[in-house]
Amino acid sequence: MSTTTTESSNPFDEGEPIEYDSGFLNSRREAVIIFCVWLAALLWAVPYCYLNGYGTVAPGELKTTWGIPTWLFWGILAPWIVADVVTTWFCFFYMKDDDLGEAHEGADIAEEIAEMHATDADARQEGGR
Amino acid sequence: MNHFGLTFPGPHLAAAGSNAALVTFLLYTLAVFGIAALSNQLMKSKSFLSEYFLGSRSLGVWAFALTFAATSASGGSFTGFPSKVYMHGWVLGLWIGSYVVVPICAMGLLGKRINQVARISGSITVPDVLRDRFHSAAFGLIAVCLIVFFMSFNLVAQFKSGSLILKMLLEGVQAYEDAAVALHGMTAGIGFLEGVDAQYLLCLLTFGVAVIIYTTYGGFHAVVWTDVMQGVVMVIGVLIMLPLAISAVGGLEPATREMAKMTTPRNGFLTVVRDAPADDGDVAIPQGTWLRYDVEGQERPRVFRVSKLAVIKQGESHADAVPVVEITTPEEIDRILASDSRIEIASDLNVQDPFHETDYYGTLTITAPSATADDRVIPKGTRLDDGEPKRTFLTAESARIDADKTSVANVSVVELKSEARLSGKRAGERLPSGLEGLSVDKVKTRSCAYQSGANQRGVYVSGPGPSPTKSDGFLPLSLAVSFFFMWAISGAGQPSSMVRLMAFNNSQTLRRSIFTVAIYYSMIYFPLVIIFCCARVLLPGMEAEPDSIMPRMAIFLTDNIGMGWLAGFLVAAPFAAVMSTVDSFLLMISSALVRDIYQRNINPEVQEKTIKRLSYLFTLLVGTAAMLGAVNPPQFLQDIIVYTGSGLAACFLAPMVFGLYWPRANAQGCIAGMLAGFGAHLSMYVAGMFVNNSFFSPYRLLDFDPIIVGLFVSFATTYVATRLTPPPSRELVVKYFSKKS
Repeated sequence: MSTTTTESSNPFDEGEPIEYDSGFLNSRREAVIIFCVWLAALLWAVPYCYLNGYGTVAPGELKTTWGIPTWLFWGILAPWIVADVVTTWFCFFYMKDDDLGEAHEGADIAEEIAEMHATDADARQEGGR
Repeated sequence: MNHFGLTFPGPHLAAAGSNAALVTFLLYTLAVFGIAALSNQLMKSKSFLSEYFLGSRSLGVWAFALTFAATSASGGSFTGFPSKVYMHGWVLGLWIGSYVVVPICAMGLLGKRINQVARISGSITVPDVLRDRFHSAAFGLIAVCLIVFFMSFNLVAQFKSGSLILKMLLEGVQAYEDAAVALHGMTAGIGFLEGVDAQYLLCLLTFGVAVIIYTTYGGFHAVVWTDVMQGVVMVIGVLIMLPLAISAVGGLEPATREMAKMTTPRNGFLTVVRDAPADDGDVAIPQGTWLRYDVEGQERPRVFRVSKLAVIKQGESHADAVPVVEITTPEEIDRILASDSRIEIASDLNVQDPFHETDYYGTLTITAPSATADDRVIPKGTRLDDGEPKRTFLTAESARIDADKTSVANVSVVELKSEARLSGKRAGERLPSGLEGLSVDKVKTRSCAYQSGANQRGVYVSGPGPSPTKSDGFLPLSLAVSFFFMWAISGAGQPSSMVRLMAFNNSQTLRRSIFTVAIYYSMIYFPLVIIFCCARVLLPGMEAEPDSIMPRMAIFLTDNIGMGWLAGFLVAAPFAAVMSTVDSFLLMISSALVRDIYQRNINPEVQEKTIKRLSYLFTLLVGTAAMLGAVNPPQFLQDIIVYTGSGLAACFLAPMVFGLYWPRANAQGCIAGMLAGFGAHLSMYVAGMFVNNSFFSPYRLLDFDPIIVGLFVSFATTYVATRLTPPPSRELVVKYFSKKS
C-alpha cells in the first residue's frame, strides 16, 4: 500500500506546509465514523429500551419476540445484528489497508543515548573552557 | 448424614464428572507450559524486548483477535456477569448492550494509528508511546506510575478471583481436598497464613505458580497463544450451554413467562434447630441447604435457602442468626415442594424465629459503660434501643462481652421497623439485670425485602431490574448511559488493550480481527444473558450463592443429558478467562518496570543480556508479590477492579486520542489532561467517603458513573491546556504525522 497524502497544512509552525501521511488521515476519518456508530447505538438502544421496557409490567401483558421481551429484542438484539452488519461493512468495504511502516526497534533508545552523549560532550566542553 | 454434608450438599464437579475438573485443569496446565516452552524458543532469534513484551509486532488475525477478546473478557464475564443476570433478569441485556459496538470502538478507534506511531518510534509499551510521541521523559514516568498504581491493585484482585474460581472448579475432588488438609498442617503456626482458608491458599498457589511460570518463561507470545486457547474454550463453553439451557427450560418463551411471574426473594436471619443435639462434634449446615417453615393457618409453607455456612456446635441443638434467602413466588415454592423436584428440603432441621418482611437485618457493636471482672452474656432475643429517633434492635444470636473488655463487635441483629413488630409478643426481652447502660454503634442493617421491585411481578422482565440495595433499581437510565461509556469508550482507553493494538502485523489483520471479535462477542454475551435467564427458572434460590451460578448451571445442564464429564470443560471457561487477564496484566507491570523505568530512565545503554535477566526477574517478582498480596487480599475486590478499570480510561484515553490524532497536541496539555482525569475520577470516590460513607460507593454527579466525569474532565482539560501552551516542535509533528518519502 502507498503512503500518499491527500491533504496538507501547517497551522502552528513556520516553514513549508507539512504533507500529512495518508495512514494518519484515513485513521482519523475512520475514528470519526466509529464514534458516530457508537453514538447511534447509544441513541437507539438506551431511549428505546427506556421508553418500551421500563416500568411495571403485568405478567399477562408482557410482549415477547422469539421468547425475549420485545423491548429488549428491538432495543438490543436486533441492533446487535445490525451492528455486526455495519462492522462487516466497515472492516471489508470502508477501512483502508494503510502501510503501517517498518518497526524501528530500538530507535527511541538509540535517540536517547545519542542525546545523552551529546549532553555529556557539551558538559565536558563547558568544563574545558 | 455426615457432619459436613447434610441432606442437600450442593452438586460438585467430582460427583458430576469423575474428576473431570481435575483432569481438565491438569490438561490446561500442561498445555500452557507447552506453549510457554515454544514461545521461549522464538525469543532466541529476535530482539528480546520487542519479542518478550510485544511479540515482535507479528500477530496475525486469530492470535490478535482472540488475545484481544480474551484479555477484555476477564473472569467477571463468567462469574460476576452470570450472577448479575440471575439476580436482575433480562435488563442485563441493556447493561451489556454496548458490546454491540465494543469491538469496533476498542480496536478501531485507536488501533491502526497507535500501531503506526509505535512503529515509527520503536515503542514497546504504552508509556513508551506517550514519551516518544511528545518527546517527554516526564510524561513517560507519570504514565508508568499510573499504570503500576492501578494495575497492581487490579492484579491482586484478579489473582484472588482466579483462585476462587479454581476452588469452585476443584470442589469435591478427593486428591485436592487431601492436599488442602496437608497444606493446612504445614502452614499452621505461620503468622502470615493464620486464618487463611487452606483450600483457597492451595488454589492461589497452584493458580499463581502456573501463571507466573508460563508468563515469565514464555513472555508475550505465551500469553497470546494461551489466550487463543482460552478464548476458544470460552466460546465453545457458551455455545454448548445455550441449546442445553433452552432445551432444559422447555423453550425461551415459557422461561420468560415464568420469569414474569417471579417476585424478588427476601434476605434475613433465622434460627435452625436440629431434631437431636450434636453429640459427635460440630454439625455443619452447608450453604445452599433448603429449609421449610410451616405457618399456622396458611396453606403454603415459607421456604428458605441457607446463604452462608452455619454450624451447630457440639452439645447444642440449634444455630442462631443463620443467614438465609426466602423464596417468595408461590409458583416457585410449589415447584420446589413438588414430589418430582430434584430439591431436597432438610428433614431433620426445623426453623425457629424466621424474620418478618418488614424487618431490617445486619450487625452492630454493643458497648458497655465500663469493664467488669467477669464475662457478660447478652442473650439472643435481647431488645436494644438506640438514638433519636429511636431505633429498636433484637439480637439474633447471643453475644459475649469478655472480662476486662467493654464492647463486642459484629453482633447479628434484626431491626424492628413496623409498629406491629415493636408491640408484638416477639418484640424481644428487656436487658437482663447487670447489663444496664449498654449502647450500640456501628450499625449496618438493610431491609429484608429488596429496596426496589419487592412484591412486584414482572420485575425480572423489565427495567430497571430489581435491586436489594438501591431504591431506584439495578439499572436506572443514568447508569444505562454510563455503561455505554464504560464498556465501549473506557474499553478503548485500557492500556492492556492498547498494548495489543501495537502488536498486530498489518492493517489487514486489524480489519479482519475487528470483524472476528464482533462475531466472537455476539456469540458470547447475549447468549450468556439467555443462559442465565433460563437458570433463574431452572435453579431457584441461587441468590444464596450467586457466584456459584456458572458451575451449578454447568453441572445441572450436563447431568440433565447424562454427560457429567462435560461440566469440567464448561467450568474451565471462567478459569480460562481470568487466566488470560492475569497474564496480560502481569506482563504490563513488569514491562513498565524493566523498559519504562530501568532502561529508559536509569540505564539506556544496558546490555540485552541484562535486560533479559531483568525481564524474567521482574515478571517473577511482580507475580510473586501479587500472589502474596492475594493471600490476605483487601476487601471490596470487585469494586477495586471497577475503580482501576475506569480510572485507567480516565487517565489514558484523552491523551492518547489527542496525541494520535491532533498534530497540535503537546506534552503540557496531555499531561494536564491525564492528571485532571485521574483527579476528577478519584474525587468522585473521595466524595463518596463523605456522602455515602464509603470510598467504593462513589458520588455520582447527576447520577452518572465517575467514568463519565473523569473522561469529560480529561478531554476538556487536554484541549484547553494544549490551546493555552505553545505548540510542539515542527520536528515532532513531521516525525509522526507527515508523509514518509
